[in-house]
Amino acid sequence: MMTGKEYVESLKKYRPRIYFMGRRIENVAEDPISAPHVNAAAMTYELAHDPRYQDVMTAISHLTGEKINRFNHIHQSTEDLVKKVRMIRLLGQKTGSCFQRCVGCDAMNAIYITSYNIDRKYGTDYHERVREYIKYVQKNDLMPAGAMTDVKGDRSKRPSQQADRDLYVRVVEKREDGIVVRGAKAHITGAINSHEIIAMPTRALEADDRDYAVAFAVPVDVEGVTMIFGRQTNDLRRLDGDMDCGNAKYATVGGEALVIFDDVFVPWERVFMCGEYDFAGELVEVFATFHRQNYGACKVGVADVLIGATANVAEMQGIAKASHVVDKITEMIHLAETCWCCTLACSYEGFRTPSGAYMPNQLLANVTKLNITRFPYEWSRIAQDITGGIVITLPSEKDYRNPETRDLIEKYLRGVPETPTEQRMRMIRLVENLSIGAELPESMHGAGSPQAQKIMIARRSNLEMKKEMARIIAGIKEDEHFRKIRGMSENEFFSRLKC
Amino acid sequence: MKVAVKYCGGCNAAYRREEVEEILSKHFEIFYSNEGNLVVCISGCKKGCAVEGVKGEVLHVDGRVSEEELMRMVEKKLKSLR
Repeated sequence: MMTGKEYVESLKKYRPRIYFMGRRIENVAEDPISAPHVNAAAMTYELAHDPRYQDVMTAISHLTGEKINRFNHIHQSTEDLVKKVRMIRLLGQKTGSCFQRCVGCDAMNAIYITSYNIDRKYGTDYHERVREYIKYVQKNDLMPAGAMTDVKGDRSKRPSQQADRDLYVRVVEKREDGIVVRGAKAHITGAINSHEIIAMPTRALEADDRDYAVAFAVPVDVEGVTMIFGRQTNDLRRLDGDMDCGNAKYATVGGEALVIFDDVFVPWERVFMCGEYDFAGELVEVFATFHRQNYGACKVGVADVLIGATANVAEMQGIAKASHVVDKITEMIHLAETCWCCTLACSYEGFRTPSGAYMPNQLLANVTKLNITRFPYEWSRIAQDITGGIVITLPSEKDYRNPETRDLIEKYLRGVPETPTEQRMRMIRLVENLSIGAELPESMHGAGSPQAQKIMIARRSNLEMKKEMARIIAGIKEDEHFRKIRGMSENEFFSRLKC
Repeated sequence: MKVAVKYCGGCNAAYRREEVEEILSKHFEIFYSNEGNLVVCISGCKKGCAVEGVKGEVLHVDGRVSEEELMRMVEKKLKSLR
């Protein structure tokens, strides 16, 4: 397993084609725009070597028997599913950000499960290819990025109906030694600082869409891949020093890129689905279940940091003992732990798939994520409430360091006398970073937008059974247990009561 | 005298788990393992994840403990092993 430092060094062996703000990012590990995201991902490597965290950070590979980083593990039990989310919460606490590696983990687990099912129906050999690929990833402790979301064009039309057929990734050529793919994937977390990209279809498909039923893996710097790194709120503050960033070490959210596949060649051994359109929907749903499972852990870990930051600010400003502040911070904890309950529930209620791998309970995973589309907005609101308007009016680090204004800021922005002004400023900036900006839309849309979760919740809830429960209790349908309790039907029982 | 220490994953510790190791290291030589004559399992909460998969005599600590109390627990375990 690599250490954090070794991971950072490993990125220098790759030459991905990355653009940001009109220029190339030549060295992902060292560029000030990308370095914080690299640091966050590096934490997933570093903690695997710390005896205080190894129990959740590592696993024994069922493919090789070797100890591996848990992010490259195929879950073999509900205990594995629970340890996964414990690991993710821990990393949220250690980085206060998105550490990106879970998407690749979920992609590997999803293709492991679905390829097995494809092979069962069609007699293909995708599952063996997936196993070999995962062994390769495990042996080299690589970080694959999971790329699902196509750019989609006209959302009212299926992939094969688009005016521009490249708006969903598709197979444009099949050769004896592999396929050629073309298209683009949007919002791909951690792509620029990953070693590999695993691409999957983004929606259920029909027969006309079979060219779009494709899943594959390529190295991040394979010929034909271009990445355009997306802007985030306050991203250029990274060029101004560290205080104004709030979380200068690990940024906020994962760092997402538009990934373009311009006639990229993929050898067959790295193709895990090609034309089996009837399994596209299953792959999407399995991946989405794994990814939605995570959010009650990663966002709660980040919430732990925000709650701590808010409590610190309250102390620094002399309001920590005010009853409404105590109550509000308790409410933040309540909301966060509610989401933690959800993520544990979907993990403990996980089940074994025919492939032998385990996946979380789908209904509860979607409930987890749907709560995360709402609760972070509320705990962020409370953090801003307690911190005060200064969260959006604080002077810059440049002004703090300027000899002409430093003493003025030092004097007039002091809170309680015991706390140095710089510490108060740093903590306020952290609240700003965590509660205002990219973090909230990421909670909303990461792993699928709210309506996607509602569709799954409705689909998985067995409403007919609930309607029957109500009919029985209302006395419309006979209650089998009542007859045994009373030795007679409900009608007979109530006709004997004197009203 | 050597004592093995195993930590839980630390996902939501209710106290600073390292305090237990700091106390132990004043009195014993510590090594990290889930196997040993005596394995002190340090769990961050009552769930007790640290004891999973451990081989050997277990002393489970799942909350803050004073130095005096911890040493009393360790001595009791060591006595039972002799």
